[in-house]
Amino acid sequence: MSEVHINHVYKRFGDVTAVDDLSLLFKAGEFVSVLGPSGCGKTTLLRMLAGLETPSAGEISIGDKVVNDLPPGSRDIAMVFQTYALYPHMTVRGNIEYPLKKRRTPKAERAVKVKDAAELLQLEELLDRKPRQLSGGQQQRVALGRALVRDPAVFLLDEPLSNLDAKLRAHMRAELIQLHERIGKTMVYVTHDQLEAMTMSHRIAVLRFGVLQQFASPDEVYRKPANEFVAGFIGTPSMNFIAGEIDNSDGKLTFCGGGVALSVQAGLLPDGLIADGDKFLVKMGFRPEDIFIGDQGDDALVSVVEPTGHEVIVLIDLNGNEVVARVNPDVRLKAGDKVKLRFRPDKLHFFGTKEGIRLNV
Amino acid sequence: MSADTTAKLPWFRRSYRNFSLEEKYAVLGMILIAPTVMTFCAVIAYPLIAAIYLSFFSIYTPTMEGHWVGFSNYATLLQSGEFWRSLWNNIIWTVGTLTLQILFGILVAMMLHQNMVFRSLARSLVLFPYFLSTVVAVLVWKWLFNDLYGVLNHLFMWAGVIDMPVDWLGKMPNAMLSLIFVGAWKYFPFVVIAVLARLQSIPEELYEAAKIDGAGVFARFFDVTLPQLKDVLVVIILLRTIWDFKEFDLINLMTGGGPIIATQTLSLMVYKEAFALNQMGASSAVAVLMMLVMLVFMALYLRKAKGPSE
Repeated sequence: MSEVHINHVYKRFGDVTAVDDLSLLFKAGEFVSVLGPSGCGKTTLLRMLAGLETPSAGEISIGDKVVNDLPPGSRDIAMVFQTYALYPHMTVRGNIEYPLKKRRTPKAERAVKVKDAAELLQLEELLDRKPRQLSGGQQQRVALGRALVRDPAVFLLDEPLSNLDAKLRAHMRAELIQLHERIGKTMVYVTHDQLEAMTMSHRIAVLRFGVLQQFASPDEVYRKPANEFVAGFIGTPSMNFIAGEIDNSDGKLTFCGGGVALSVQAGLLPDGLIADGDKFLVKMGFRPEDIFIGDQGDDALVSVVEPTGHEVIVLIDLNGNEVVARVNPDVRLKAGDKVKLRFRPDKLHFFGTKEGIRLNV
Repeated sequence: MSADTTAKLPWFRRSYRNFSLEEKYAVLGMILIAPTVMTFCAVIAYPLIAAIYLSFFSIYTPTMEGHWVGFSNYATLLQSGEFWRSLWNNIIWTVGTLTLQILFGILVAMMLHQNMVFRSLARSLVLFPYFLSTVVAVLVWKWLFNDLYGVLNHLFMWAGVIDMPVDWLGKMPNAMLSLIFVGAWKYFPFVVIAVLARLQSIPEELYEAAKIDGAGVFARFFDVTLPQLKDVLVVIILLRTIWDFKEFDLINLMTGGGPIIATQTLSLMVYKEAFALNQMGASSAVAVLMMLVMLVFMALYLRKAKGPSE
């Protein structure tokens, strides 16, 4: 169990900066997800931790050791690849045993460790099979077994669930959480799937264009997104945004935009952000579950209704702005219905228009 | 005749118009494979059967006249030292040149797989020996090997490796070693092409996983590369064994089987019996025996090509 310290790390490929001045500290035993859209540098970061890429600048430490110049095999890390990368000619046993063999672990000890790992991952029955005789989920477990058996300080997982079908993915998610609880090692989990990041991690690092956007617990990332990008990226359906302005008249803040006028709850924005009598351009964000359809509020028009079973996603035209709402399936709506919208006043997010920085307290 | 009654007649008593769709397809199929079958009979089945047939006769080649001798050609051959010597030479040549081809081929393929300058140029150049006509290649090599004015002796003497010119092709074991070397030079590009193609399809993650598992350069070669090359190597070895075993032009042009019969393989013996000693029957018998040896490799190859990879 070791902490991982990423200190002002850069990675450039020619003119492209894949990772841009990234500094992160993963605590020992923590499950951290690195989340972001494709090309955000998350896999590059993981490969630098593994030693498969060298940082262009900056320092990476695992435990109290700077590992920049250590080859992958000497870093006390294990990695699970998206494609599993099992050795096709070796049996399951051979695959799991391989890292131990390369470290000259005595045969008897190897057998015990392989047995333990196989037991933990329910692979005992499959030990003599070849990888191609296994299902995707089983191959996944073998890849985990190969990582586990070494008892490394840090586990690196590169989108390990993305090649599985939806049902198996949900199952493996739960298994991974249990596994982490049992072994308690530091795990760095790279994914573009926010559901995986939200459900499994202690903390999530959100990356965009190689730049860290936010590093916080799933709850905080969801409730207090650091900027407009994180707000829009986390959550399905994603957050709604309406551009407008806040004006301050006699200490009362009012948001006007998209044909809506809302008084902003006191304490939502820091005092003195907007001088009395002044105006401030903002983007207002609100999650689909934070608006209500009822008989009070602003007039709007239902344009699309998408029932998913346990809830209904409704696309609503609010004075020309498209707004997504998540409503109870018992509310019967159909396209063309005229409805009234209300916002949850304590759940409004405000972002600056230039950099999209969160303005809320 | 009504449709009911015509359908009951055997196919050869009905006109094509009354055939079912399946029968019409069958006819089309037969027409389409007929050219192949006929060509196969003319160039493979007929010579094969003719060779077996001729091997039971004693025939004077220029007149092609002879008489039935039964198995006596075979009996003579199996008792002659020359046949066994030629078979032994054949094995030495095949194993020797094939081993060099494989080793050199894998080595060059791995070099060409690396990121290096002028990689595509090098990849085309390496095929040069394979595309070069054997006659031209042999003539060049014979000049290089020439004991009086050859570059090879010149260079070796200049470098002080030897102090007297070496007779590369007229003495044993030099002649066989020279043959094996030139054979390897001529045919290793085939191994390069096949191995390189396979190398390019090995997923990079396997090497990365091995690196993380603590495997060094050699471990990665033996634990990742070689097992992945296994299937293609088996096919290459079988094919090249078959081709090298019956190699004729290169050996005939280089040494003609000499000195005496020191580098004479079975192919050369077939040729010599038929056209130098004018014994078409005995020659056919050698060819048939040679074919029997090759059949073993053929069977292995067919099993490999047909069966699953494991």
